[in-house]
Amino acid sequence: MRRLEADVVVVGGGSTGAGVVRDVAMRGYRAVLVDRVDLAQGTSGRFHGLLHSGGRYVVSDPHSATECADENAILTRIQANSIEKTGGLFVVTPVDDPTYAEGFLAACQATGVPASEISVAAALKREPRLNPGITRAFEVLDGSVDGWQLVWGAAASAKEYGAEILTYHRVTRIERQGDTVSAVICTDDKTGEEVQIGCSFVINCAGAWAGQIAHMADCPDVQVVPGRGIMIAMNHRLVNTVVNRCIHPHDGDILVPVHTVCVIGTTDVKAPDPDKLPIPREEVQQMLDAGEVLVPGFRESRAIHAWSGARPLVKDSRVGAGDTRHMSRGMSILDHSERDGLKGMLTISGGKLTTYRLMAERIVDAMEDQLGTKNACRTAEENCPDSLTGQLNNGHNYVVTHRLHDREEDRLHDQIICECELMSRRMFVDLIKANPTASFDDLRRQLRLGMGPCQGGFCSMRATGIAHELGTVDIERATGLLRLFLQNRWIGLWPILAGDQVRQTALDAWIFQGTLDIEHLPEGAEVV
Amino acid sequence: MDTVVIGAGLSGLVAAIRLARAGQSVTLLAKGLGGLQLSQGTVDVLGYAPERVERPFEALGSYGKPAHPYRVIGASAVRTGVDYLAELVGPELLVGDPDHNVQLPTAVGAVRPTCLPQPSMLAGEIVERKRYAIVGFRQHKDFYADLCAANLVRSAAGLGSAVTARGITLDLPGRPDEADSSALTYARSFDDPSYRQRFTTLLKPKLEPGEVVGVPAVLGIKVLDAWRDVAERLGHEVFEIPTPPPGVPGMRLNERLTRLAKDAGVRIALGSIVSGATSSGGRVQSVSLAAAGRDRTYAAESFVFAPGGFESGALTLNSYGTISERVFNLPLSGVRDDLVTGDYWADQALFEVGVAVDEQMRPLDPAGRVVYGNLHCAGGILAGATRWSEKSGEGIALGSAVRAADAIRKA
Repeated sequence: MRRLEADVVVVGGGSTGAGVVRDVAMRGYRAVLVDRVDLAQGTSGRFHGLLHSGGRYVVSDPHSATECADENAILTRIQANSIEKTGGLFVVTPVDDPTYAEGFLAACQATGVPASEISVAAALKREPRLNPGITRAFEVLDGSVDGWQLVWGAAASAKEYGAEILTYHRVTRIERQGDTVSAVICTDDKTGEEVQIGCSFVINCAGAWAGQIAHMADCPDVQVVPGRGIMIAMNHRLVNTVVNRCIHPHDGDILVPVHTVCVIGTTDVKAPDPDKLPIPREEVQQMLDAGEVLVPGFRESRAIHAWSGARPLVKDSRVGAGDTRHMSRGMSILDHSERDGLKGMLTISGGKLTTYRLMAERIVDAMEDQLGTKNACRTAEENCPDSLTGQLNNGHNYVVTHRLHDREEDRLHDQIICECELMSRRMFVDLIKANPTASFDDLRRQLRLGMGPCQGGFCSMRATGIAHELGTVDIERATGLLRLFLQNRWIGLWPILAGDQVRQTALDAWIFQGTLDIEHLPEGAEVV
Repeated sequence: MDTVVIGAGLSGLVAAIRLARAGQSVTLLAKGLGGLQLSQGTVDVLGYAPERVERPFEALGSYGKPAHPYRVIGASAVRTGVDYLAELVGPELLVGDPDHNVQLPTAVGAVRPTCLPQPSMLAGEIVERKRYAIVGFRQHKDFYADLCAANLVRSAAGLGSAVTARGITLDLPGRPDEADSSALTYARSFDDPSYRQRFTTLLKPKLEPGEVVGVPAVLGIKVLDAWRDVAERLGHEVFEIPTPPPGVPGMRLNERLTRLAKDAGVRIALGSIVSGATSSGGRVQSVSLAAAGRDRTYAAESFVFAPGGFESGALTLNSYGTISERVFNLPLSGVRDDLVTGDYWADQALFEVGVAVDEQMRPLDPAGRVVYGNLHCAGGILAGATRWSEKSGEGIALGSAVRAADAIRKA
């Protein structure tokens, strides 16, 4: 068994956990973050990519709107490489009740959300694919955010302050001595090794899985009800600005341009198990219809992938009612010393990615209150270092053309392994050398390997060949990685298969089965 | 005009040649270059049924569900088609005994059955105790010698053959100073004897006596015996391994068949979509080509419809789940709910949707009645087969092309 010591163990590597580990590390605590899989593989990587301006909440939840507006400005500055300043529009479509829009600007003003009305002509000039029947348009500061980059960036910052980030470390037990937390026991699923992390505080940021983690500390009945939502990525940026419908927040009312695609989302359906999130056909149809309202002809453009994420909503009557000062809207903190008589453990749930930094600040404040210490939070002042693939930054925000620029620089001496997403061989080699145990999906989340229209049709065999050639994986693992990657791509493909993506799928089948006969390769290794 | 052929893949080209050589005036219309360049460039008849097939024509006789195209095409038409193609292109391009599949390495090191390979591939056949040296190029990203070699050993073992294989990766760009060269770029370079000289000079010292040399299928595109020259220079047996598209072996077949079609008098109009048709009294009168400027109409006595399946866009599935055929709006067979499942490794029923036909390859409606008496379908448009997984694409294409062409000749 491997043994580690820390002051604080953060369970869960989504945006909340990454924000918390960065904050505790910056406040001087020895911190370790563990996640059962990769960073931001759960909810933080399964959303539509919207960095809220706050506009969505100005009427329904003014407090949240103000928080979003403030945090939007902070994140755009401190994590510039994860955020594209696309700007946003709230538009009144022909099917929308125009009365909501009448109070929209005043509500923006009241909540401190920058917004101004522009003419319909100006909106259509900016976004020519937009429904020409819109009657009003308001400009806001929405952005698009890469959840993976955001979380990796926060984790990289935490590491600079001495934190350890342990992915693929699955918590199996939380131990206590007397009435206080004493250790977190994990299994390293990449090696099978058991790891004991001695600690005096545990912050449970496991999101939709928080109830399962609390249970391991003998804190029963933390009820998390995952709210499942689906998203669909379309092959092009049909819009270059985030487009929202100017209505009370509803399903399918946001279209977000992020990287090379745009994403329509989302739905909200209670899901009993956060590990089983289907992508039902009727919800796919619902999203396509919603897209059609914003961009006529949406259904004729090409859907390339869909995914399903689980919002974590805690339902617990024992949430400390007097604890609102520590609350961000939509976020809950369960103090297990009050609730279960266990000192040194908080369970967090809910919240929004846009306000993840603020939530982390509140959570760490709550921890320090319990510990009787007080250190200043500096996470809003200091920039995160560039995460692994974000070397473009230099203080500039992400722009979608950066890879094209990079490939024009290196095209004469490097290969493009993924043409859809312009990933070079060098990018792939560097990352797999630094992460020799990574799966192709782990690499994909940072490199966008296989995320374009061919969905791995050409690049996945190349990735397999290169990984094997480098010697980082043996032939059994290489074959297993390839098979797993293709299987996983299919999860998000088959529910939305239509139009040109059917043609692509047939071509990919001709390549993998017709030419390569991949289904008759000897079995690969069981890959984690 | 006697016959209009729609589609420039294997079935369209072969049907056009067969009709033109029988004295018909034939025009071939196609949107693009056809599917051959996307293929492995060999002739498959039946590779898996679903277990590995050694004798394709024996297996074919009893293979397949009632809706499989082989049920109506029949083994003898497939045989006629395979023999016809082999004779058309000659032993420079296709060799082998149609009664026996050969087991050849793929680029990822699987062992794939096929019926007639190109002669440049034959030395790859899995034989007990064979010693392979698999050679790739650092600048060619669609072939990885180490991956191929390491899996080939495992695959051969799975078939009961002990072989050895090692990978060699050469630093040799397809064109000077190029970091990223396609298979086609290499193939054009290998047409040049001086490039072959450079290659063999670089490779020869790395080889051990008795090794059989496998290379990606890039050994020439115009010069069909470039592989023999490479083998002679090396003093080793050499074989080619098909790569993902663009596939050079398929291009060789495509170029040869296109030239034979032209030589036989077939007029070929590429680059525009056949967008619609007119019919009367159960017969197709004409088809219209969405050519630049204005639509052009082609009237004919008979029509061969060989546009491919979903891969070419001839069959489409829209976002509401409706499947249709674009030109004639033909009735489709195999349509039902849940055509696609979440199991990546399962055959998807969607891809078995297509046109049901009679023995003359004429489309049938659900009641089994012929839709158009002078329209004959061939190749990937036919319902009932997942061609890529059973390895039957060329057999279906050739058998149906022969049936279609012969029905027209007799009419």
